[in-house]
Amino acid sequence: MFRSVMGLSKVRTFGASLTFALVAGTFGTGASAQEPLRISIWGGSWKDFAAENIGKRFTAETGVPVEYITGGTIDRLNKAKLSKANPETDLIFTTSHVGWLYASDDLYEKLDMAKLPNAKTLFPEAIISPFHVGTWSYVYTIAYRPDLVPADIKFTSWNDLWNPRLKGAIGLPDFDPSHIIYASALLSGGKTAKDWTMGQKKLLELKPNIKAFYNSDATSQEKIGSGETPVQVLLSGNAYHMMSQGIKINLVVPKEGAIIGVDTVGINKGTKKADLAYKFINIALDPATQTLVANKQKMGPVSPQAKVDPAIAKLPGMFTTAQQWKDQAIVIDHKQRSELLGEWRKWFTENLIAR
Amino acid sequence: MQDRRPAYFAWFILPSVFLAVALVASLASLFQYSFREYIPGSIKVGDFTLANFGRMGSWVYLRVFIDSLLLSACTAAANLILGYPLAYSLVRSKSSLLKSTILITTIVPMFTGDIVRTYSWLVVLGKNGFINGTLKAAGIIDTPLELLYTPLGVTVALVQYSLPVMVIILAAAISHIDVAYEKAAASLGAGPLRVFWNVTLPLTMPGILSGTVTIFAWTLSAFATPQLVGGGKVNMISNMVYQLGFSNFDFPFAAVLSMAALALIFAILGLMSLGMRRLERVGLH
Repeated sequence: MFRSVMGLSKVRTFGASLTFALVAGTFGTGASAQEPLRISIWGGSWKDFAAENIGKRFTAETGVPVEYITGGTIDRLNKAKLSKANPETDLIFTTSHVGWLYASDDLYEKLDMAKLPNAKTLFPEAIISPFHVGTWSYVYTIAYRPDLVPADIKFTSWNDLWNPRLKGAIGLPDFDPSHIIYASALLSGGKTAKDWTMGQKKLLELKPNIKAFYNSDATSQEKIGSGETPVQVLLSGNAYHMMSQGIKINLVVPKEGAIIGVDTVGINKGTKKADLAYKFINIALDPATQTLVANKQKMGPVSPQAKVDPAIAKLPGMFTTAQQWKDQAIVIDHKQRSELLGEWRKWFTENLIAR
Repeated sequence: MQDRRPAYFAWFILPSVFLAVALVASLASLFQYSFREYIPGSIKVGDFTLANFGRMGSWVYLRVFIDSLLLSACTAAANLILGYPLAYSLVRSKSSLLKSTILITTIVPMFTGDIVRTYSWLVVLGKNGFINGTLKAAGIIDTPLELLYTPLGVTVALVQYSLPVMVIILAAAISHIDVAYEKAAASLGAGPLRVFWNVTLPLTMPGILSGTVTIFAWTLSAFATPQLVGGGKVNMISNMVYQLGFSNFDFPFAAVLSMAALALIFAILGLMSLGMRRLERVGLH
């Protein structure tokens, strides 16, 4: 008797579970009918900006949700390499020269520019390769704390970093030494990235002025914010963020120009959603989105048609015209940079970072 | 006597088998990377080569190993000097207030993450930090002392990070001493210092040895503390491995440095085991 009651109870439970599963399945199918477009991007404000200003519009126009897979530049590159046979994402945001590493490791689809009508009007510097296209620009340049650096020390040239009075005051990025290596080569008579060895001797002379190296945006901000390194070779976006937090920072575009950086987007090789990926990129390159890039993020738009607030357009490192790109930007050839970066980093690690 | 444990007990070791397999697989991957050619500008690795091991002879990398060994030795020594009195008081004190204070000040920080603890050292050791601020306010210094991004700063942060572990190991060793030995020595006329020197200290030698070696080996693989407090100016082996592997994409040489560090740690643990056996032989355990 007991067994039969238990049996009946089990049948009821099974029936209820089955009903629940069917109902949940029905609704579940509705909710997940549309597979999301998966995007690999940095976390924090980068992801927030893309989600708010590109992703929402993309979903509104296509009905396709967007999922963001966040991580650091190199972590995401390694992940893409490991999941090459079965890519985890459909689109990848990364820096221009790192994009070349994706391309050289066959991780990108070749772009069909006919599917990107908004790419036709971009600054020519934004078309990085047949595989990836720029979405916004920024500069790495000299930034300093006017309240902590003597007023008579002026920064008009990269050469001013070698001022002996700046002993133990400078902070540099350790993850990408290309800016200071290139600047040192320029000051030593070099013309292209391949002439970088010309600047080695001069760069070694900078050692006494280097207080510390930073390894992320967060540590960069911590070091200039606390005043430990009152002078930095700093990403313009970080400088503007710190200024918005009330920290006095002056950003300078030296007479030789500031080292331009371009963040880019490319399509994962093997994606099954290439058409949607093109649609997303086209929205990112739309002049309306590019206007938000400049006015909200204080990053340089890659479209000359972006309507940039005049007050923001005046900011150092905010290049909004072809003339500014020509006069103030130092563009290191992205492919050359990706090929030389390993060698630069090795030399930098062994000669500047290691004691 | 027959073993009455049920047969399914054997399955309980499964999690450790999975862990062991994962560890062996990752070490095997590291091992094969160390024999592969580095291709600049690519995350791919090339053909078989022994050249990566040749680079280990470079003074730059030897210096990183020497610096790491010195920092680890200083951290272990400072831990012993600071940790022994704390552990002794923790075990032997009759005051519960003192015991609680020691527990709170030494053990509780262990429950905060190493990043939080290390960041707090940036505030303490900085140019405008607590130490420099206090010394300036007291009129002792005019210009701030350079504490951050120096070997001293890194050592201080490492000592604070590892001290709870040292205290736990030493407290365990001290609590195992039968107080009758000390009482016997005292009854034969030995003063407190002599009792400590001739009885207590030798009996805690296994704890001292294992604590020192544990902290030494642990510190040798430190990453976050030298990364943040060292500011790229004080680099230990892990920082160099990270720099080479994740900034330079030089995974093969990063693998060689990792293997060398691992070999060094195994050698140290081997020496510890040898030392313990010698101590047991002379009857100090």
